[in-house]
Amino acid sequence: MRIWVTGIGVVSPLARGAGETMDRLLAGDRAVGSLALFHLPGSRVDIAAEVRDLRVSAVAPGGDAEGWSRTDAMGVIAAREALAQAGLDPRGAAVDLILGGTTAGMFETEAPLAELSRELLPDASTPHFIPPEAVAPLRRMLSHPLSSTADHVDSAAGPFRQVRTVCSACSSGANAILLAAAWIRAGRSRAVLAGGADGLCRLTYSGFGALAALSPEPCRPFDRRRAGLNLGEGAAFLVLEPEEAARARGARPLVELRGWAVGAEANHITNPEASGETAARVMLAALARAELSPADLDYVNAHGTATSLNDSMETAALRRCLGADADRVPVSTCKGQIGHTLAAAGAIEAAVTAMAIARGVLPPTIGLEEVDPACVLPHVTVQRPARIRAAMSNSFGFGGTDTVLVLAEVGAFPAPALAPTRPVVVTGAATVGPLGVLGVEGSRAYLDPGPEPSPGPIAFQASAHLDVARARRLDRAGKLTTTAIARAMAEARLEMAPRAITEAITEAITEAITETATRAERIGAVVGSAFGSIEGCTAFMRRVYDKGPKFASPADFPNLVPSSPVGHASIYLGLRGPVFATCDLEASAESAIATAVELLGAGEGDAIFAGSVEEASPMIERCLGPICSGITDRGARSEGAAVLLLEAEETAVRRGARVLARVAWWRSWRSAGTGGPRPLAEAPRPSSPGTCAVFLGRDDERVRRALEGSAWAEVPRRSVAARAGDHEGAGGFAAAAAVGALAAGEIESALLLGLAPDRGYAVLLVRPSTETT
Amino acid sequence: MVTELNLEGKAPADIDDAAPLFGEGLGLDSLDALQLAMSVEERFGVRIPEGPEARPIFASVDALVAHIVSCASG
Repeated sequence: MRIWVTGIGVVSPLARGAGETMDRLLAGDRAVGSLALFHLPGSRVDIAAEVRDLRVSAVAPGGDAEGWSRTDAMGVIAAREALAQAGLDPRGAAVDLILGGTTAGMFETEAPLAELSRELLPDASTPHFIPPEAVAPLRRMLSHPLSSTADHVDSAAGPFRQVRTVCSACSSGANAILLAAAWIRAGRSRAVLAGGADGLCRLTYSGFGALAALSPEPCRPFDRRRAGLNLGEGAAFLVLEPEEAARARGARPLVELRGWAVGAEANHITNPEASGETAARVMLAALARAELSPADLDYVNAHGTATSLNDSMETAALRRCLGADADRVPVSTCKGQIGHTLAAAGAIEAAVTAMAIARGVLPPTIGLEEVDPACVLPHVTVQRPARIRAAMSNSFGFGGTDTVLVLAEVGAFPAPALAPTRPVVVTGAATVGPLGVLGVEGSRAYLDPGPEPSPGPIAFQASAHLDVARARRLDRAGKLTTTAIARAMAEARLEMAPRAITEAITEAITEAITETATRAERIGAVVGSAFGSIEGCTAFMRRVYDKGPKFASPADFPNLVPSSPVGHASIYLGLRGPVFATCDLEASAESAIATAVELLGAGEGDAIFAGSVEEASPMIERCLGPICSGITDRGARSEGAAVLLLEAEETAVRRGARVLARVAWWRSWRSAGTGGPRPLAEAPRPSSPGTCAVFLGRDDERVRRALEGSAWAEVPRRSVAARAGDHEGAGGFAAAAAVGALAAGEIESALLLGLAPDRGYAVLLVRPSTETT
Repeated sequence: MVTELNLEGKAPADIDDAAPLFGEGLGLDSLDALQLAMSVEERFGVRIPEGPEARPIFASVDALVAHIVSCASG
């Protein structure tokens, strides 16, 4: 099956428009200049690659601009361009949206957050919500959640049938495209708009500054004198379609998306693995997926950030992956021209790679004059025409989350084989919440009547569960997440095979399984959070405002990206498979579970821990929560982490795992994009009454409306918020409790239902039939 | 240093003032170096240069103290 790219949209610091951006990249133009968007007094660096003259009000629907971010506006412009080029109108066709992001509306909300924490919330113990009259000016906060960018792209360029937001720091945009490929290969999507968007903000600027990663001058990728990166901003989307669907509607392909792979280094929260071993493994896996070899590659679009560590690591990785072809395959990066656009980078660079193939031209690396002896590769420093049959685009993020995409000329290679979608089972679950650290059996207690949790943080002693010396860099969300995963892992007896030796990298990919242990390279984690590390971001920015950017904490900064909890868990536990975060307000847990099922089904990993983490947070309780959910009468919020262990059935059975449930069916939807009010109409009918239940974080009027008209409307509903805490991640606790109830034989099937404004997720778990246990 | 670098399970008395801070010894890394440099500048007003020049200053607690004292008195 071939996946066609039929549309490309780009907003970059060089131009609005994919073609215009490519023209200027080829001309060697640089957009790096004096930072005008904001001023940080005392900052040691003052340059960036900005998208100039961006007027949010020109993009946002009338009167809505206050709740929109620059990130949103760039995302919408790029999305419209990609859809227009593809000739696809989401109003008349079922199109899905996947967006990778890290900061969303941080630029618009970082100052108000710091102010709010000072003025509106003087005493964290005062149990009051922000009064309604104060909420109206706070509409700006609507742009804060990471999912808000996808929401705004949905409202201005959609409506889309389903929408997903993923985050893996600087590889987010590439992972959005990878997930789109999984959806298409599984036959779940006939068209996906996938990409990334990220705007400049003081938080990332002072954070990268604190890490001494910012170059005071236009950056020099792969150069001996390179002194760090330039931050940039932008957005890009690709329209991806299966060949037959695109042909059927008369669309024309620009290039093919042929290969993709994701893996984690499990090494360090900010520093890449010096050997490049993981990056090389992921590149080889992407080539294997594409059914291509290094000899087929004619171009590599490098991550090439111009930091000392990245560029030498990436060179080492390319040499490991390409072997003798490393001296032949031309390499370039556009970061010397548009800076590092963070979550957008993977998408912009996929777009540039696609255009390079389609136009038959190699774009240059600008800023490279004297190649570092540690970075010797066939660098392109002046554009030149060349036939590119296939090309690879690399993206590496904080926490060591590496993603590689392979694009190819249309029809240059035989169509890759289509592996059947793999069934997925549940083999474990764990929760860290008000009732303690619990496994499958214990987590059922959240279904029992009992007292509400006390407000604020739970009584959790990290030292009882983690080696605190090794866990010293983990913030609260990182510790809760890691503890939950470790508990589920131990109980499900998921054992990790010793690391594949270097020489056997290829073998490790193709032959993933030993007899009873799963390779660390095949174990991942996808954990959702509605608002990420909001208290951490607020404290970080207060310090920047109060003391100046040079006193921003380098150690705290990496904990502020939404994928930090899973990144920490990956490093602490050695998980080297797909590792990223999802964000979808109060349905973040269900979003993570659905994403993990899709990845496993597509063969991205054999075991994935999926769920949610939410920290106790006065800012969420009193400000972001009520504003973004519209719910002001919540019970005690509390906090916690909850995960399921999902595995591909074949590998779970092979390792002798106890299968607790099968994933029988799942859906995600947007109210506006489904073309009808009954997304659950297609759900399999419940087994006989009394043997099934709907499991919810929170039971309210929205649940009744979502179930209305479906066969599940009359089924008993069981919710956990009253015991687990009425927070955005309660759905993860409901999922764990459901698995407990299934494992105990209490029920035959459980429908996990996660709802947030205009969106929903449903996952049907059923007890395994006797012949499969 | 114990608080600033979150050295869980360590007390100030456990740190040998003459022992190497990085790699062997206390086992700190480059991210700790940045955090330490930031907090030294915040508390003592003494800037620690970036790059190779920082190496001898971060050799041990003793070397760091000597640098802070010499900058503060110079």
